[in-house]
Amino acid sequence: MQQTKHDAHHDHGHAHDHHEPGFWGKYVFSTDHKVIGIQYAVTSLIFLLLGFSLIMAMRWQLAYPGKAIPIIGGLLQKVLGDAAANGVMSADLYNAFGAMHGTIMVFLGVVPLAFAAFGNFVVPLQIGACDMAFPRINMASYQVFVIGGVIMMVSFFIPGGAAQAGWTSYSPLATVIPTQGQTFWLVGMVFLITSSLLGAVNFIATIIQMRAPGMNWMRLPFFVWAQFVTAFLLLLAFPPLEAAGIMQLMDKVAHTSFFLPTGLVVSGQIAAISGGGSPLLWQHLFWFLGHPEVYVLILPAMGIVCEVIANNTRKPIWGYKSLVYSSLAIGFLSFIVWAHHMYLTGMGTKISTFFQTTTMIISIPSVIILTCFFITLWGGSIRFNTPMLFCLSFLPMFGIGGLTGLPLGFNFSDLYLHDTYYVIAHFHYVVAPGTIFALFAGIYYWYPKATGRHMSEFWGKVHFSLSLLFMNLIFQPMFVQGLAGLNRRLYDGGATYAGLAEPAAGGMVGIPQFFLDLNKMISHAAWALALSQLPFIINFFWSIKNGKKVTSDNPWDATTLEWQTPTPPPHGNFLKEPHVYRGPYEYSVPGHSKDFTPQNEPERGASQTASAKSH
Amino acid sequence: MSLKAFHIVFVTASTLLAFGFGAWELNNYFVTGQTQSIVMGVGSLVAGIGLIVYGKAVLKKMKHISYL
Amino acid sequence: MEIPYTVKPRPDTGLYNAKVGIWLFLASEVMLFGALFSAYILLRVGAAAGTWPHGLLNVPLGTINTLVLITSSITVVMAWVSLKLNQFGRFKVYQGVTLLCALGFLGIKSFEYKDKFSHYEIVRTDGKIVDGHLVEKTKDHVILSGHVIDPSEKVEHGSHTPEHTEITVPTAEIKKMENYGPWHSTYLAIYFTLTGLHALHVIGGAVVIGFLWGPGSKMWKTDPERFTNRIEVSGLFWHFVDLVWIFLFPVLYLL
Repeated sequence: MQQTKHDAHHDHGHAHDHHEPGFWGKYVFSTDHKVIGIQYAVTSLIFLLLGFSLIMAMRWQLAYPGKAIPIIGGLLQKVLGDAAANGVMSADLYNAFGAMHGTIMVFLGVVPLAFAAFGNFVVPLQIGACDMAFPRINMASYQVFVIGGVIMMVSFFIPGGAAQAGWTSYSPLATVIPTQGQTFWLVGMVFLITSSLLGAVNFIATIIQMRAPGMNWMRLPFFVWAQFVTAFLLLLAFPPLEAAGIMQLMDKVAHTSFFLPTGLVVSGQIAAISGGGSPLLWQHLFWFLGHPEVYVLILPAMGIVCEVIANNTRKPIWGYKSLVYSSLAIGFLSFIVWAHHMYLTGMGTKISTFFQTTTMIISIPSVIILTCFFITLWGGSIRFNTPMLFCLSFLPMFGIGGLTGLPLGFNFSDLYLHDTYYVIAHFHYVVAPGTIFALFAGIYYWYPKATGRHMSEFWGKVHFSLSLLFMNLIFQPMFVQGLAGLNRRLYDGGATYAGLAEPAAGGMVGIPQFFLDLNKMISHAAWALALSQLPFIINFFWSIKNGKKVTSDNPWDATTLEWQTPTPPPHGNFLKEPHVYRGPYEYSVPGHSKDFTPQNEPERGASQTASAKSH
Repeated sequence: MSLKAFHIVFVTASTLLAFGFGAWELNNYFVTGQTQSIVMGVGSLVAGIGLIVYGKAVLKKMKHISYL
Repeated sequence: MEIPYTVKPRPDTGLYNAKVGIWLFLASEVMLFGALFSAYILLRVGAAAGTWPHGLLNVPLGTINTLVLITSSITVVMAWVSLKLNQFGRFKVYQGVTLLCALGFLGIKSFEYKDKFSHYEIVRTDGKIVDGHLVEKTKDHVILSGHVIDPSEKVEHGSHTPEHTEITVPTAEIKKMENYGPWHSTYLAIYFTLTGLHALHVIGGAVVIGFLWGPGSKMWKTDPERFTNRIEVSGLFWHFVDLVWIFLFPVLYLL
């Protein structure tokens, strides 16, 4: 992939550095934030595809339990051996795929794409900086990320396979599974946490120290604010998981009992451990990361949506300050809601009530942000291009995801819904047609800046409409299944608990067949969703060389600084240091000849010197 | 926060530890009557006072260095 | 365009880049050790009454190590101030003492670790427990220097430890033999994890300080201001490592 990019750059003849570094220096060991951003983007898109592939295999098992997986079944058997004997997915393999689907999607896919890729490429440009504050640490961050990813991938092929205790790795289950998959998972996580730590330090330092003259805090594009808060969440929430990971690693390797209680029975025998540990401790430490992580997933997406909506409604964002303060409030509150994932652990009603209250409070700033976006649309003359379509559908999709979270945040209704497909539907609505749609929007939106060419509008719209359709066909039925009580952890999709045809005749009343049949429909929608990504994948690579060339450095007529650079921006970004004279969203300002006023365009007349001073 | 400021924080924490440890050892002495405890206890209290004196001296010496 | 504020502070924040960076890093370190301290609290609160061990560690050794680290903090600041006063020779001396302190700390710590790993608890077939340091281990017997505990007898709290004698236990009478490693109890688990992680930080800090003391100090000739900043940043990290110990010592050794 890097090779393709390499060629593309040479086609353009954008050779701008005094001394041109070789292929390795320019594309692999680069300290340029834009190249690192693209490295992150390509790597994490591959991981997203891989994580999606895992769930596609699992969806076969859910829809047709016990039947050999078509097409790839033989391959799985060849590569993974007994875990996929005769092409049938074993329960162990299902567990491993499930755990790794979550891990890959969250830690190797969405977060690196939303935070590291877009943040690296866009943030320094938007604040008018020539690079990140610590370019070499930036490079190290990507390299450590790749090492972590490789360790995760290798774990599929070790004896016993990858981690099987879910992406949450609850102890004691994670510790007592007698394979080394969990050890690989933990070591891989330590690398990924280190990578995101280096990235977070770098982002915050860059935003604090490297803003161009005149770029004061309230002139930052909202995307930068979103990344700023996200970086703080990563900086402060990940270390407790690292601590927990170290302790679980000690449990696994040095046979300590941090998370193993006294009298733990494994396979009918009392385990030979010192005991005295606390399984709840793991859950607390995990969710102390886990919940801020949710906002790590969503805040950069909101930042992208904000940029695209302002640009395509040709209006200033309604309530810029509300957005900023809301994102700060989210950042703060996200540290005190974690135990709403643990209502069923028996931690006590008082603690549950506390976390229920904070959980309800944190929905307020999220609603404010969404409301600001909706109001911005009001009365706008909207340009319906591909990035805007993705952003427009982000709003209702994230809305559904957010509102269906409320019944999970109340502990009385969570008692019923906990661990059902309803939960899966809820958080996938937030992340899949929510965050990932915003990320698609970001790719279509900034692609011309990165490559100098547009992606195909037509195929972009095809990609959009099919994705929107199938996303909903996948996740809406899961709400229905979940409300019917279908547990989310069943390896056969609930077939074991199928209801009797004639429950009146006696025996157990199980899950009605209708809800189990939905499994098939969901699985078909999932595979169709995979097919509808083909236009995107082809479009992405084809357009590098063959897309429509941009006619100017600012093809979307945008106001923010990243569009006031050459295309693609050279090493060092700006030809001369930009000065910022205005806020980020000055669209359709009355009395101006154009409907957009870039941030670095001086005021006419005497006010010029005055605003240049205020930084 | 410069190294100067952090050093002041550190010396303050060390002083508190010295007094706390001194009290702990003296309490030990009253329970067990071991000579080692009273030596360590009194020594620690003296060290605490020494740290305060040191802190004042170092503040004076670094008068021209910023806290930021 | 060059990256700005690598040496001179940015006027509106008053900080140079690396200082912002190290403080952010230290913030995450606070969360890392904070989580482990919380784990300590939860494990201790959750322990069954009377099972949390006291007095397992050697307080005088811990006290010496505390003094060593406080001294190293003072010398690290003095080294930085010496550079500010343009006295490179004194910087070398002070930072040399810092390095010696780091090595001394690690030496004492490894002695304490070795002491724990050679400390055994043997449960005999008659139910009695032999607790002491390993003297000799052969195919048919084990000799510990320690004492015998009878779990059925009630031991009064605060009664001082009995005399140490050499006790020979025939292999046939050993039901279970385990040394005082992290696997022995949750207290030792958190002790080894916290101090081990802290020791790794000491090693990391010593490597950086050693580099800036040795080959890295060439920068003093070419770019003295930047070199002084580097010493400040490494000193900030060193102070954090020492501050962690100021909390670790009372928590693990005294309480």
